[in-house]
Amino acid sequence: MDPLIATALDTARARGAEYADIRLVSNREQRIVVRNGVVETMTADESVGLGIRAVYQGAWGFASTRELTGEAADQAAAQAVQIARASASQNGAGMAVAQLLGSPVSSRGSYVTPISVDPFAVPLEDKLALLLEADREMASVPQVTARMANVVFIREERTFANTEGALVTQTIYEAGGGVQATAVGNGETQRRSYPQSHGRQQGCAGREYVVAMDLPGNARRTAEEAAELLTAEPCPSNIHTDLIIDSSQLALQIHESCGHAVELDRALGDEAAFAGTSFLTPDLLNDFRYGSEQVNITADSTSATGLGTFGWDDEGLPAQATDIIRNGQFVGYLMSRESATLLGRDSNGCMRASSWNRIPLIRMTNVSLEPGEWTLEDLIADTDDGIYLETNRSWSIDDRRYNFQFGTEVGREIKNGKLGRLLRNCTYTGITPEFWRSCDAVCGPELWQLWGTPRCGKGQPGQIAHTSHGASPSRFRNVRVGVMR
Amino acid sequence: MLGPDYIHSLLREALRHCPSDGDGDIYLTATEQALTRFANNRIHQNVAHQDAIAHVRVAVGKRQGRAVTNNLSGAGLADAVRQASEYARLMPEDPDFPGLPEPSPAQSVAAYDEDTADCNANRRAAIAGMVCHKAADLSLDAAGFCRTGATELAVVSTRGADAYHIGSFSGLLVTARSDDSAGWSKGGGWRMDAIDGEALADEAIGKAVWGRNPRDFEPGEYPVVLENYAVDDMLEALSFYGMGAQMVQDGRSWMSDLQGQPAMSPLVSIYDDGLDPAGWPVPFDAEGVPRQRVDVVTDGVVQGPVYNTYTAAKAGVGSTGHQRGATGGPTATNLFMRPGDRTTEELIASVDRGLYITRFYYTRLSHNRGCVMTGMTRDGTFLIENGEITTPVKNLRFTQSYAEALAGCQALSSPAHLNLNEAGVAIHVPAALLGSWRFTGQTV
Repeated sequence: MDPLIATALDTARARGAEYADIRLVSNREQRIVVRNGVVETMTADESVGLGIRAVYQGAWGFASTRELTGEAADQAAAQAVQIARASASQNGAGMAVAQLLGSPVSSRGSYVTPISVDPFAVPLEDKLALLLEADREMASVPQVTARMANVVFIREERTFANTEGALVTQTIYEAGGGVQATAVGNGETQRRSYPQSHGRQQGCAGREYVVAMDLPGNARRTAEEAAELLTAEPCPSNIHTDLIIDSSQLALQIHESCGHAVELDRALGDEAAFAGTSFLTPDLLNDFRYGSEQVNITADSTSATGLGTFGWDDEGLPAQATDIIRNGQFVGYLMSRESATLLGRDSNGCMRASSWNRIPLIRMTNVSLEPGEWTLEDLIADTDDGIYLETNRSWSIDDRRYNFQFGTEVGREIKNGKLGRLLRNCTYTGITPEFWRSCDAVCGPELWQLWGTPRCGKGQPGQIAHTSHGASPSRFRNVRVGVMR
Repeated sequence: MLGPDYIHSLLREALRHCPSDGDGDIYLTATEQALTRFANNRIHQNVAHQDAIAHVRVAVGKRQGRAVTNNLSGAGLADAVRQASEYARLMPEDPDFPGLPEPSPAQSVAAYDEDTADCNANRRAAIAGMVCHKAADLSLDAAGFCRTGATELAVVSTRGADAYHIGSFSGLLVTARSDDSAGWSKGGGWRMDAIDGEALADEAIGKAVWGRNPRDFEPGEYPVVLENYAVDDMLEALSFYGMGAQMVQDGRSWMSDLQGQPAMSPLVSIYDDGLDPAGWPVPFDAEGVPRQRVDVVTDGVVQGPVYNTYTAAKAGVGSTGHQRGATGGPTATNLFMRPGDRTTEELIASVDRGLYITRFYYTRLSHNRGCVMTGMTRDGTFLIENGEITTPVKNLRFTQSYAEALAGCQALSSPAHLNLNEAGVAIHVPAALLGSWRFTGQTV
């Protein structure tokens, strides 16, 4: 065991901690952003530090330091216990650790993200050339006034240990990339992104993940579609119609209306002041129809390339797959040790911290809609009147995860079983369980794709988590669309 | 905290590793923050963290490279400078890059309070305990946080920039909830003693009590009285989606076609001022350029955006000192809206039928033109009838152009209230009476 870790845990125990854990994290990140033909950002970031949690009389404290010395680790451990004592002073009688955290966790081992090509071993010139070529392709479309191409590579080494005997080490790689074109004209501003919006597609993978995207090969088409949207028909205003939603937009729909809703800390009120609560309260577990029979959603931290894929979570629980929605029924939460104990369950390993100086919170892993059996061709042919929606543009949902509204970059009219006119400024809105109960068809595994969402905000102080969501195109009946101005 | 002398000697020494044919600057941010968080009437998270991050930039001709590290040892910073130098040489030339800014001394501004920066865990816990006990006494659940700390900012460059600033910060956020209602309040600034914790607790608790048994309300267009918390959301969105010159130059800003136009009510004046102690002062930007006051909207007429050196050079003007972080475009983060002359009660009294809104939640851009936003009301939405608040209503979704809404501004309150968020964005705004707001849905 690293002497820093042993020192910190010993100090925490000596100061009165009934439980303590420590994370030692070293993060390296490389980002390149090309904007409008020039390299706006080419940077190498590194961040190193440790964070320690302590329990005293059933109350928590946390402290951290960027200085990796025995003295600094010792001070951080002492400060964590001091803060836990301050918490306990206001909380009244606290629980014993066994009541608070359930069964002890004593995991041991190591994990490395499977990769083919170490992104940090690839010359920068190659990465830069890829982005500049993609930019040149987008620049060939005259209506495009703003172009952006970017790649991100991350390597994070984490060591976790606790006073119950756990000691695990992990090396997590991430790779991401994308292009985005904004066209202006005809009194309009329109954006088109590839492979998805919010800058990039990202996964736990090596350099090969970005190469497979073929950003240069898709850049001109992306820019042309942005220009085409300037003169496209507006989305029909404020009507109800059938929707077929592509997998990347559906991934964000899952994230917002299911993933956050099944975080047990939210359901218990721990996030009430910021992220909000959830309509999926514990009394509804195993007794609530969330969606139609076609809706099966799992949380799986073992999915290949998922941003929620790891060896162990930040409480030392092993990666695992659990049911969240089974045949439309609400059957499971994302849990921590503490919250699971309140339900009389064991944690399913969903605690993750964004950095060494943040505490672990319940975060989504890879929360995905399982594939059905339809082909997209058959699904469109089976739809008389509707809209096919692609690629998220805006997203919003209420604090209990009921009322949502999404906008997409592109819509395509469906008439008599065929795709028709291009539509711009498409939005749709609804109430979460009504929406998922209206799902009557899910496409098959050949169209199922895992999408990264590397900007999930939660917690105070704020944390940004990296999660993924898998989906294939699916149909929803009689949804309200066209809310804009 | 690290202190100005230590920081300057550290950064000057690191910059000695810049290439002889290049320039370099280092933007250092060092923060110590402690945050006591409570929910369900108990402290459930209680943390302290510190970090110091050096953002290194090396410019060689028309090329620039960057590196970021929190390893402030001599070797760590030297490695970062060498890494940035290597990246700079790999970059293609950027013909619009004007080079690093020439040094210009920034005005010193007092924004540090030792009592705030040094607040200990027991004091924060006692404040959290006070809020929780007040809520529990009325069978409500309290949630929120009490945070304190300080941030040091410094910029040193081979051109001679030598800027240092230290600011303390504090904040108390309170949510009070019953089964079917919630109330919210938030205070903060650079002095902890300016926060009236009891008053903030009472404000949130009062709303939660008042909001019980909310009724359905038909979406549509109605006049609204927005509390300062909701107006804060409007200015933050208008800043994020269009007050920076890069967005204007790309044609992506809400103000792209509106500069020089009377696009808002004559009552509306919005400006950015990093030196006003009523906000959260920051006297220079991440390039070490002194912050200038920028009038964004004056008497309803849209003026122009804020600049960094890059966008200023492209526009042929001077930087206004608004490069917020080491990368990304310029941003207005110290915003003020000129207050009016009414009380909030007078704003309410002038509405025949409309809504009183505490704050907005999860607001996102639906369309750049006009800054069309969608979002929800939250933590206290009430019906106004015949000049009086009569009943709570369920939360509503809106889809509304913020620029158009401010065109219909009919009155503003006095005084204004400072909203300091956790990312250091400070917005000083009054409550507002707007003639029309478009509600497009209702939640369960």
